[in-house]
Amino acid sequence: MRWWMGRRFKEVNILPFEPRKGHSVLLLTNHFSWWDGFFANYTAFTNLKRRLYIMMQHNHFVKHWYFKYWGAFSMKKGSRDMLESLTYSAGLLNDPENLVTIFPQGKLCSNHITYIHVEKGIERLIKQISGPCQIVYQCTLIDYFEGLKPRAYIHQFDCGVAGKVPFEELKLRINDFHQQALKNQVNIPH
Amino acid sequence: MIHPQKNSLIHWFFHHYILWIVGRNFHEVKFDHTVIAKDRAVLLLANHFSWWDGFLMYYLNYKLLGKKFHVMILEDTARQISFFKYMGAFSVNKNSRDMMASLDYAAGLLNDPQNMLLVFPQGKLYSNFTDKMVFQKGLMKILSGVQNNFQLMFAATFIEHFKYKKPSVNVYLKTLSESLTYKDINELATAYQQHYNSAKQLQTQIVL
Repeated sequence: MRWWMGRRFKEVNILPFEPRKGHSVLLLTNHFSWWDGFFANYTAFTNLKRRLYIMMQHNHFVKHWYFKYWGAFSMKKGSRDMLESLTYSAGLLNDPENLVTIFPQGKLCSNHITYIHVEKGIERLIKQISGPCQIVYQCTLIDYFEGLKPRAYIHQFDCGVAGKVPFEELKLRINDFHQQALKNQVNIPH
Repeated sequence: MIHPQKNSLIHWFFHHYILWIVGRNFHEVKFDHTVIAKDRAVLLLANHFSWWDGFLMYYLNYKLLGKKFHVMILEDTARQISFFKYMGAFSVNKNSRDMMASLDYAAGLLNDPQNMLLVFPQGKLYSNFTDKMVFQKGLMKILSGVQNNFQLMFAATFIEHFKYKKPSVNVYLKTLSESLTYKDINELATAYQQHYNSAKQLQTQIVL
């Protein structure tokens, strides 16, 4: 995976961020490219230091079946299977060694959007988590500057601990952080 | 100032090289198919966020405009990458007297209807997430120095991956007929900003 990313990206920069100790991580990240799972894998390994699990849409999961060997599991929207996927995710997050990546938008959107839609399923998932779990919003932005290969900039923010942040508050925080990431990106040194 | 130079062999080689690397590195390059007047030169103003910008506009000129490509680039870049001058690049040095010569040369190019001149009015590389377009003042000097009527064109480019491993390029174009009516650089920057904002809005509406 590292090799694949190294071939396609000039660099992947994670901006300074420290996860809370003794907490699992629910990683909510913007979904704008085929590479998003790779970025999650990279941050889970590099700075969040947790075992990666990633929720994928069922049709994508079927198409890219090999991702199951990297911790991917499927979710079929609008079915009973979805509840099972959410319960499974919550179970994983009871272990502080684990990290579950979810794309809260539920679909691919432009990297330039200014509003992050958060699907209701996230609320249901958070309610089921019983262990200590930190919610992290990760915003990845692609820029090129002086180079032909793209550079990824990963901005991470602490959204609080699951169970202590009301869902409406979580949505506001995610969007505030997203705005902050866009602002920071404009001033990024290159 | 470094002037464009002619060498058919080098031009032929890098013409095919540019088309090849654009095709190889991108899933697709999409642009608006606007109608261009054949009897007027084209001044293309584009946002500058990557090294691809020049290559992509070269590609666009080849596919859509069919004019003789010229681009104004920083002198350091022109020295660093020497083949650019064979592809229509000429240099500008912002902090020297030489700058006036570059701007006059640029204005002169627009008197020939066969020419296309690409200028990055921001003057340096910015992030692709920049919302506010800041224009350098020298552009007005070019506009005021042109004798003939020319076609002013705005390009706003965004590069995104979406569901493909390779990124795709969207170039949003707008042609303006009232090109010489801008009183100052702020008025021109505002007109470009409006186009850039609407292009960005279209880009953000893409959902897969």
